[in-house]
Amino acid sequence: MVLVLAIGDLHIPHRAPDLPPKFKSMLVPGKIQHIICTGNLCIKEVHDYFKTLCPDLHITRGEYDEDSHYPENKTLTIGQFKLGICHGHQVIPWGDLDSLAMVQRQLDVDILVTGHTHQFKAYKHEGGVVINPGSATGAFSSFTYDVNPSFVLMDIDGLRVVVYVYELIDGEVKVDKIDFKKTATASAH
Amino acid sequence: MGFLVLREKKNPSPISVPQTFVDFIGSNLDSNLAMAKERIPDWLNSSLWSTTPSVDGRLHRFSLSPTTTTTTAAAAVSEPIVQPTVPVSPPAAASRPQYTVTSQKYEFRDPIDKNSNNNSNDNDQNASPSGVSPDDISRQAQLLAELSKKVVNFRELRRIASQGIPDGAGIRSTVWKLLLGYLPPDRLQWSSELAKKRSEYKQFKEELLMNPTEITRKLEKSAVDDHSKSESSGLLSRSQVTHGEHPLSLGESSIWNQFFQDTEIIEQIDRDVKRTHPDMHFFSGDLPLAKSNQDALKDILIVFAKLNPGIRYVQGMNEILAPLFYVFRNDPDEEMALLSGFRDHFCKQLDNSTVGIRSTISRLSQFLKEHDEELWRHLEITTKVNPQFYAFRWITLLLTQEFNFADSLHIWDTLLSDPEGPLETLLRVCCAMLILVRRRLLAGDFTSNLKLLQNYPSSNISHLLYVANKLRSQASN
Repeated sequence: MVLVLAIGDLHIPHRAPDLPPKFKSMLVPGKIQHIICTGNLCIKEVHDYFKTLCPDLHITRGEYDEDSHYPENKTLTIGQFKLGICHGHQVIPWGDLDSLAMVQRQLDVDILVTGHTHQFKAYKHEGGVVINPGSATGAFSSFTYDVNPSFVLMDIDGLRVVVYVYELIDGEVKVDKIDFKKTATASAH
Repeated sequence: MGFLVLREKKNPSPISVPQTFVDFIGSNLDSNLAMAKERIPDWLNSSLWSTTPSVDGRLHRFSLSPTTTTTTAAAAVSEPIVQPTVPVSPPAAASRPQYTVTSQKYEFRDPIDKNSNNNSNDNDQNASPSGVSPDDISRQAQLLAELSKKVVNFRELRRIASQGIPDGAGIRSTVWKLLLGYLPPDRLQWSSELAKKRSEYKQFKEELLMNPTEITRKLEKSAVDDHSKSESSGLLSRSQVTHGEHPLSLGESSIWNQFFQDTEIIEQIDRDVKRTHPDMHFFSGDLPLAKSNQDALKDILIVFAKLNPGIRYVQGMNEILAPLFYVFRNDPDEEMALLSGFRDHFCKQLDNSTVGIRSTISRLSQFLKEHDEELWRHLEITTKVNPQFYAFRWITLLLTQEFNFADSLHIWDTLLSDPEGPLETLLRVCCAMLILVRRRLLAGDFTSNLKLLQNYPSSNISHLLYVANKLRSQASN
């Protein structure tokens, strides 16, 4: 039972001052084992805040991040799953699922976590699963101003992942969940 | 008895035998008997106890019917037979088969000495024949006799057990189970009781040791049938989360929240279990045996903590559990059921409220005052050694920390078998401990007395128990 937080596109301080207080009250240290951050934090204070939640932090670089030393892509293995992280601004067209699938095959991962569109998405294709946690602060994106703050918490247990989607809709936190299993042959490439 | 023969009869493989034990104790029945012979002068020459001279203190405790020659004969006859009994029992994995093994052996003895055995079953037969070698053997024989009866006579059992239970053929395990009320006196019900309690524990383990992921999966399975997704690509369907059951939930009823609150307790249990008896290979070390024992201890403590939200886990429970586990080590399911079964006994002691333990300590103080006013005055008033400083650990951990493992098992035999109840006996034993070192205490000041009492010197346990028992009879005079 490994809890992995997938979060990103906060754009603090440029487009948003802070995480919504309801999200902040839920994110307490001690519960989460890993944090995967797609990028665009943008400042060091946010990095430090995430570090207090969980020491195991993986970040990739977004185009507005002030720390230029984050990698463009990152892969890690948690339990039976291989996860890949990429901010997504490098993938053109932005948010295009086929192109993201190509990146996933390139990185050879089961779950690709990507961002930049500020829209939550969970998509399955034959190579694996693409998860976009959206923007945790609801920062406006190049597409639209109307962005719901959202992030994702994954519960990895053996060959099964339960994805909990936390969205702030009209001031209330709504939680949905998505279940998927990895078949043994899925990663045979 | 300063030395107990503790042999790892249940583990035939030599590798899993805790070497420290075997080395320390010695694996020879003869050597134990030889040591038994040397005990007598110690008691006789004891200058601390000059009231009633006795050849064998035990004779005074019970009815003074003379030791019959038939008893000696039975004991002598049983000696060569019991010896082969002991190595045979190891293959028995569960305790249940052991009953049949030992009872069979006992029935074999019957034809040889029918009369005396029949007598011993019915009469209040006296204890060991004047403290000579087959002491252990006769007690073992008596216990086996008692255990193999259809309905166990508790008074009889307690009487024999209070002298100390020999470490053979799972006797201690059975006797403790009976004394703690885990097994009913009716022998026929034993197997069904055991099966019931074990399945209860299994169920508890399954329910309480699951983490929230497994719980949610179980709940889902019952609610939604497995719809296998035939599409290989497309947006993943989202489903509503019911009752706010998500990992970050802060709700009181959320299983996730409870889980995270429990992890704190589980961490503490883990730390304490790792520190239990670091000198014993049985409990600590790198052997897989030690690991599995530790895991079993942990499971038991966690299940207990969850079942008793009022008490949860208190530091020190691991110490009390350790001897129990060691004695019943064949089947970890049983200790858990036991622990829940007699929680009234022990949990009163673990009651952290100042009223519970404080009153017990003050009773100890009162007890000491009644029996040895000079010592009491010196301790409490002159040197101001407050009983809380030393007695707290003695009482709450039932003396497991003051003596080595083998001795504490012996003390527990007496504690459990006394009809007055373990608390009374405990107080008497503590009082006896103080009286035995009175010379040193009277001569010492605060620092040296406290040091002495907090590191109680190892002593002859039989003598200690004898003195403690004397206190009982003195109080009634």
